[in-house]
Amino acid sequence: MRRNLRIFREFFRTCLVEELEYRSEFLGNLLSSLFGIAIAILTIQIFFFQTDQLGGWPYADVLVLLGIFNTLQGLIDFALKPNMSRLLQNIRKGTLDYVLTKPVDSMFFVSFRHLVFWRLVDVLLGLGLVAYGLWVKRYVPTLSDLLIFLVTLFASLVLIYALWMLLMTTAFWVIKIDDLSFVFNSFFETTRFPIGTYRGWLRIVLTYVLPAALITSTPASALLGNWSVGATLITVVVAGIFLWLSRLFWRYALRSYTSASS
Amino acid sequence: MSIHVQHLQKNFQVHVRNAGWIDALRSLFHREYRTVEAVKDISFQIESGEIVGFLGPNGAGKTTTIKMLAGLLYPTAGQILVEGFVPFEQKVEFKKMMSLVMGQKSQLIWDIPPMETFLVNKAVYEIEERAFQRTLEELVELLELQPLLGKPTRSLSLGQRMKCELAATLLHQPKVLFLDEPTIGLDVHTQEKVRQFIAKYNREHNTTILLTSHYMGDVTALCQRVMIINHGQLLYDGDLQILSEKLTPYKLIEVRLPEVPSVSWEKYGELVGVDEGKVSLRVARERVTDVSARLLHDFSVADLNIQDPPMEEVITLAFQEEVHAS
Amino acid sequence: MLHKYAVLLRMKWVEMFEYRLASLVWVFGAMTQPLITMLVWMNIDREASATFILYFASLIVVERLTTAWDVWELDREIREGSFSYYIVRPFAHVHWAIAENLVYKLVFFVILAPVWLVAAIFVPALRLKLDWGQLALFVFALLIASAIRFLFSYSFGLLGFWVTKVTAIYGMLEAISLFFSGRIAPLSFLPPVIQQLSFYLPFRYMVGFPVELLTGDVHGTAGDGFLLAIFWMLCFLALTFALWKRGLKKNQAVGG
Repeated sequence: MRRNLRIFREFFRTCLVEELEYRSEFLGNLLSSLFGIAIAILTIQIFFFQTDQLGGWPYADVLVLLGIFNTLQGLIDFALKPNMSRLLQNIRKGTLDYVLTKPVDSMFFVSFRHLVFWRLVDVLLGLGLVAYGLWVKRYVPTLSDLLIFLVTLFASLVLIYALWMLLMTTAFWVIKIDDLSFVFNSFFETTRFPIGTYRGWLRIVLTYVLPAALITSTPASALLGNWSVGATLITVVVAGIFLWLSRLFWRYALRSYTSASS
Repeated sequence: MSIHVQHLQKNFQVHVRNAGWIDALRSLFHREYRTVEAVKDISFQIESGEIVGFLGPNGAGKTTTIKMLAGLLYPTAGQILVEGFVPFEQKVEFKKMMSLVMGQKSQLIWDIPPMETFLVNKAVYEIEERAFQRTLEELVELLELQPLLGKPTRSLSLGQRMKCELAATLLHQPKVLFLDEPTIGLDVHTQEKVRQFIAKYNREHNTTILLTSHYMGDVTALCQRVMIINHGQLLYDGDLQILSEKLTPYKLIEVRLPEVPSVSWEKYGELVGVDEGKVSLRVARERVTDVSARLLHDFSVADLNIQDPPMEEVITLAFQEEVHAS
Repeated sequence: MLHKYAVLLRMKWVEMFEYRLASLVWVFGAMTQPLITMLVWMNIDREASATFILYFASLIVVERLTTAWDVWELDREIREGSFSYYIVRPFAHVHWAIAENLVYKLVFFVILAPVWLVAAIFVPALRLKLDWGQLALFVFALLIASAIRFLFSYSFGLLGFWVTKVTAIYGMLEAISLFFSGRIAPLSFLPPVIQQLSFYLPFRYMVGFPVELLTGDVHGTAGDGFLLAIFWMLCFLALTFALWKRGLKKNQAVGG
């Protein structure tokens, strides 16, 4: 683990150096991030023009949720998305062998090799929106709220990573598709709104099969003081299970990859 | 007269980009420009059916000139006539009698076989069915395209792609062909094939060809006449052989001897190198016959070989000396 | 001319089947956002569920049948320089683009029409209650909408001769158009200011207007809608012509 952290720091450094080369792009990117979050807030405004709650959540709470959504989206675009196209290429051209011969954890390596730093702006903007939502609600989270929030947010990140890798690993078999990320995006978009927005079987799927419900709603509830020890534990356990599944799947895929290419 | 160029000139406005944060910010609102004279003053004429090599280092103005000739750029000053057309007017009749190949860019449609591009060009250039079949047959044979026609372009090698590229541009039998770095990135064998094809095609169809390349091999194999350009100016326009004689007034004599005696070689010529059983001398052109005779007389020579200095050397010298057109 | 088009259409068709077929998955990828928006509205107003289902299903279909990505294609071609090959050949670039649009839209239609028909068996809300006249009006509006969107995208792409970040600006406009085009909600659900703006801005006539005709819930009169739609189409047509002429000049000045 320690070694992985050290390697990650190295990835971090090289990517930062690369990005500083293109600093003139920075301002444009900043603008587009600001623009993106403005559009998201306006969308919420449109809905609240007709109603005073979404899936049982009032306006301020939905803002907090949207802030967390933006933060997580920023983290995905920062660390996960930049690696996807390369992983697909690696698999297609057989250059994954180079990665496999390196003395690092292969799953770790393929998922964090490339980072796009300016996306961290989205993370900051998201956190800003969270703060604004809390201000609108005039709610100051207690220390335990914050603690549970951090725990559940971390669990959400682990969950996102696991689901992402589960999807990416299918690339070993489905090699004709250029871009798998839109499948993930379609799923992730559902976490933009409180889980209560969805009804019927869709809600059941998003709660128990693909636990989108946990990703944004749990940390948001925690920060707003509506947490329970039970729900927090479930989130952590579910995240752990999915991470374990994704590693299992990755190993299985590698086994079939190495036996097929030799 | 096929191509007629007079006092051609082209300036570009280049955006000056600075590296710092503040400059990056400032450049969003105010841009600084600098004028670059890509082509300063060029005049030349090319007869129908001639192959002319256009030589120069990167950034010399070759591609800019070719683009002006093909109508992609309009000149800042000067006149161009290609088969009687002013290229930048981009008349349909002009487009139908010329063709352009850019070695680094492709007109072939990436995901589908080259044959599809050929068919599209047939329609776009309004080539008659009979003429199309005849030309295609000829090109397929000359370029050995048969096995490639049905494969998606993206699966072809660079060399195969260039052959298809040439075929696609020649289907409408242009009178004038502009080739910008047609052999770039190709392996030696394929380069040779492409050269042979261009030479043969030119002989048989009397197509005027203007070729740029930075491979000397292309030029020495194809062109009698070369134009050397650097810093936007024509340094030389004329026979390649004459240029070589003018710039390198010597030849290389290589003598093989059973054993190399330790004599002073300087009286024969400038010593380039002594190897085991081999001596290389640089000798002024007018003394070559003389020196060879003496060498044969003075030593028991196993083999004697007279060579022109390598063309690369000639061109490097040409760029350095900035010899003016003669 | 017709013969040239026939050949181009055939080529684009072959091209799509050879490789881009994979990109058709996007048909389904692009559905997520409208579907989620639909679910949100159904949650807000349960009684009107059927209306929302019909509206957003129509939206998905119209969206796909009018979409144009020429701005990205042009941006790439200008940047990579392959645009030059269109200039030296005696058939204008725009025809290639039109052929591509026709082929893709046909394919989207062939995929989406049966999906709709099958879905209508299970979801009563999707059974259309239009007479032939209304259907004809819808088709007419759809054609104008795809023309406007194509010209909008294409003229923006031509701006690439002057500006380097065209696709970014275009992306922002697409995002703004969310509110005015009817993608976020039927016009009557929007705040009055946005309703009024949508009526005059071009975005409604790219997507929302045909959708309103298909669902039978036209905002204002259809006549006004057609007038404005045609007005915008002519505007973008003129813009495209002007930019094309100037763009070629500009390209000849700086090179591609």
